Amino acid sequence: MKISTNWLKDFVELAPPVARIAERLTLAGLEVKKCESLTHPSDTLFEIEITSNRPDWLSHWGVAREIAAVENIALKNPAVDPETGRTPPPGWKIQIKDAGGCPYYTGVLIEGITEHKTPDFIVNRLLACGIRSISLIVDITNYVLLEVGQPLHAFDADLIRGKEIIVRKPKQGEKFTLINGAEIELKSDDLVIADSDRTVALAGVMGGKDSEISDKTRNIFLESAFFNPGRVRKTSRTHQLSSDSSYRFERRVDPEGVDLGRSRAIALIQKYAKPRYISAVIKAGEKPQLDVKTIHLRADEVTSVLGVEIKPSQIALILGRLSLHVKQHMPGSWTVGIPSFRPDLMRPIDLIEEIARIYGYENIPETLPAREPLTVGESPRLVLERKVRHLLSGAGLCETVTFSLISEDGLSPSKDLQHAVQIVNPLQHGLHWMRPTMVTSLLNVIQKNVNAGADSVPVFEIANTYMMSDQQKHPVEERTCAIALYGKKAAQTWLDTARAVTSYDLKGFVEAILGNAGCADLCVAKAQKSYFAEGTGEEIRAWQTPLAFLGQVSAELLKMWDLKEPVYYAEISLEKLLTQSEKTRVFKEWPKYPAIERDLSLVVKESVRGGDLISEIRGMGQGLIREVELFDLFRGKRVPKGCKNLAFRMIYQSAERTLVSDEVQKLHDRIAQTLVQKYQASFQTS
Amino acid sequence: MKDQISRVEREAREDLSRIDSVDAVEAFRIAYLGKKGKLTDLFKQLGNVPAEEKKAMGAELNRVKQWLELSVEECRKKSPGGGTPAAMFDETLPGIRPPHGSIHLLQQTIQEISWIFNRMGFETVEGPEIETEFHNFTALNIPLDHPSRDAFDTFYTTHGQLLRSQTSTVQIRVMKERKPPLKIIAPGRVYRPDTVDASHSFMFHQIEGLMVDNRVTFSDLKGVLHLFLRELFGSQTKIRFRPHFFPFTEPSVEIDIQWGKGWLEILGAGSVDPNVFDEVGYDKTAVKGFAFGLGVERIAMLRHGIQDIRHFYENDLRFLRQFS
Repeated sequence: MKISTNWLKDFVELAPPVARIAERLTLAGLEVKKCESLTHPSDTLFEIEITSNRPDWLSHWGVAREIAAVENIALKNPAVDPETGRTPPPGWKIQIKDAGGCPYYTGVLIEGITEHKTPDFIVNRLLACGIRSISLIVDITNYVLLEVGQPLHAFDADLIRGKEIIVRKPKQGEKFTLINGAEIELKSDDLVIADSDRTVALAGVMGGKDSEISDKTRNIFLESAFFNPGRVRKTSRTHQLSSDSSYRFERRVDPEGVDLGRSRAIALIQKYAKPRYISAVIKAGEKPQLDVKTIHLRADEVTSVLGVEIKPSQIALILGRLSLHVKQHMPGSWTVGIPSFRPDLMRPIDLIEEIARIYGYENIPETLPAREPLTVGESPRLVLERKVRHLLSGAGLCETVTFSLISEDGLSPSKDLQHAVQIVNPLQHGLHWMRPTMVTSLLNVIQKNVNAGADSVPVFEIANTYMMSDQQKHPVEERTCAIALYGKKAAQTWLDTARAVTSYDLKGFVEAILGNAGCADLCVAKAQKSYFAEGTGEEIRAWQTPLAFLGQVSAELLKMWDLKEPVYYAEISLEKLLTQSEKTRVFKEWPKYPAIERDLSLVVKESVRGGDLISEIRGMGQGLIREVELFDLFRGKRVPKGCKNLAFRMIYQSAERTLVSDEVQKLHDRIAQTLVQKYQASFQTS
Repeated sequence: MKDQISRVEREAREDLSRIDSVDAVEAFRIAYLGKKGKLTDLFKQLGNVPAEEKKAMGAELNRVKQWLELSVEECRKKSPGGGTPAAMFDETLPGIRPPHGSIHLLQQTIQEISWIFNRMGFETVEGPEIETEFHNFTALNIPLDHPSRDAFDTFYTTHGQLLRSQTSTVQIRVMKERKPPLKIIAPGRVYRPDTVDASHSFMFHQIEGLMVDNRVTFSDLKGVLHLFLRELFGSQTKIRFRPHFFPFTEPSVEIDIQWGKGWLEILGAGSVDPNVFDEVGYDKTAVKGFAFGLGVERIAMLRHGIQDIRHFYENDLRFLRQFS
């Protein structure tokens, strides 16, 4: 909201410079975002930002009241009409049929308006605050709104049928044309102002076209009322209509301000519109009362919250400056009366905040709480996450942060999204799923980087994936590490050549993470995902617990993301990994006796799986094989079509004795022979 | 044959004495040992030598060949620009670097902030992102139909849960599970349906903090948070405490740090509102506490001079790798 300092000067003296006042207000919680100087007429505008608990600051008089409190100076009241000695408007009546929506409604009939020109100072002040002059009466209602915070509405009295104002709920299917010309269909819990026939205003939000005043209007009915904040808010939201009025009503106007605003408007209308007749005020309902009218406060409560001792005399003084009615019981204990414009003050803590504000946050000392020894460390999951981050980033992968909300692009509704968590009110681009997998998020990252010219995109992300679970009503969030590799394994240098990344590079990362976490006894199995190319997916388990899966992204998805080279993608469940990790490693002695190396090169059919051969070799090793390593794999040349050559290096070593070359050779030959028979393998002859 | 060998050897000795550069060494090698070299020629002629002399001539040729090879090698080492490690080393060539990975700047920022609070005895905890109205609003003293909820516009799920709009939900969870004293911080993702632009995103990161015991005061809040900001931004950092409104704290405060000529809001905090203690079943007359919340993106943007929040979520490798 914009506040004119010229206008403020009607109510308080502003000791220059005004920038100082702005800072004082800011440090008291009434934030002045900007000070702006105007010329012709010269003025300084405060751009203020007001928190939702202080609607009483939504006017010049309200801000002036705060300045009076902060600066400890006198506050002048706005000039009002005494509203005495007048006759009731003949035949006019107000009826409230929905007291919940409108507890208090007042109005006055003004006839025979003769002047229509708005005085310059009103035009200028409204303009400074961002409101254009429309007509004298409308300008006066806007002026009063900005001055004391009470929204008013002026109807053309000649257009009100039956001289009757009814505050009620709309009729079934009732339609209404707003001042701006738009027609809306009223909802059952809207609140409307009607005459004997039809709706004439959407209470507290906007007037109607049919009863709008013009610069020729001579007779008006001026409304000043209190509308229920919740109801106005709801109507405003339902119809997506917001106005300076609704903004204030939905934050709650001061009930005393209903009378003040009206009498202030009458004074201005009397003076500048020169009407022939002003009626007595007609009213319906009662002003709503505060739930809490008095609060008991003790000085020791103030000290225990703020950590500073403020003298009781100073506390009483501060509360008095805030227009609160302070009555001392005994030294250091008060009953504090709350004025109608401060419904936010209900408990001692609310008063303590007020005291702190005016005392000055800057005057409260800084202390450090006594330290107790810390008995809790970092959670195992955070430790694991940090390890994984360092391992992957150290190996050349970049960590990403992508949105948890995704669209269904690239995912299968029946397979991937069946148990996914859906958002009712997505913002944009159909981002209405909480992602059950990060694969599409990382494809986006790859695409973006490839388009920007990257020939290699190695990335990972650690974040939650989300899934509805059958057993629990609440969704399950699983901390997951996703890895995606695209393009070159490593950049070409003047020493090394580049090579394309493969699924085994990806598997190496996964194995490194699982190994680093201390997982033992892992086994692999084929696994299929909708987004993997057929037959490329695998799952890694510890016992029966699946810890990770990986595979090559399908050609269909690559096409959707416009990627030319393969993408290898893995997800590791850090949650499950934790359950499998060993807590403290136990040292293992390595064998003291010498090792003997033997190589074994075999040609087998493509269908024979390397892992099976390795298990077979280990199984036949009589406990003497310490390691079996696949050191070469090739096809073509002398290897027949449909076959591959696997070369293993076996390390024979005993923990108990020195092995003799002869016995190792015999064992090695036996293993070779068995493999030849069992897998129809042959030896590579070169 | 024997004479030929002797002649070649003699010539070679003379040529060797004249060698003055690496190039000359190479020319010499080619002249004698190359495919059409003088010594190579003699090897070719070995076939024509009578059988009884062949063995002796072969041995003689090999002796000369060995001597030549050795001489070439020695010459190379001695000549300027020859094959010594010192000669081959070019200190102006670039090194072969290990692959260039990185931890995301937001994560680094979270880590750094967490460590500061960890050192002050705050434990890092986490909570779910898909939450209930109770944890996100009710328990935090935010009335369901109130303008104070405007700031916390929220995504809802089809099952009636919501995406947390603030990490304050974690204080409620921890307080419901544990008894005071408590000192926790809770980093994580939060969601609000804001249209994405240079300074807004519908997903961002916050760190929530909470301290509860029987005597913690507003002055402790000031002390702890000022210490934190000095640790993060440097000991010269100027800050100010400005009254504000949050439904779940009272008194509430916003903390600004001096940035250039002006002030920038950096975190929100306050003493825990007694209503929140009521909601979690603490005795509000016996415990006191303070809570604070800060935006990770905002702090990272300030510290690293990033003008557009979207950089964090676009994951351009050129951005990510700047902060490795």
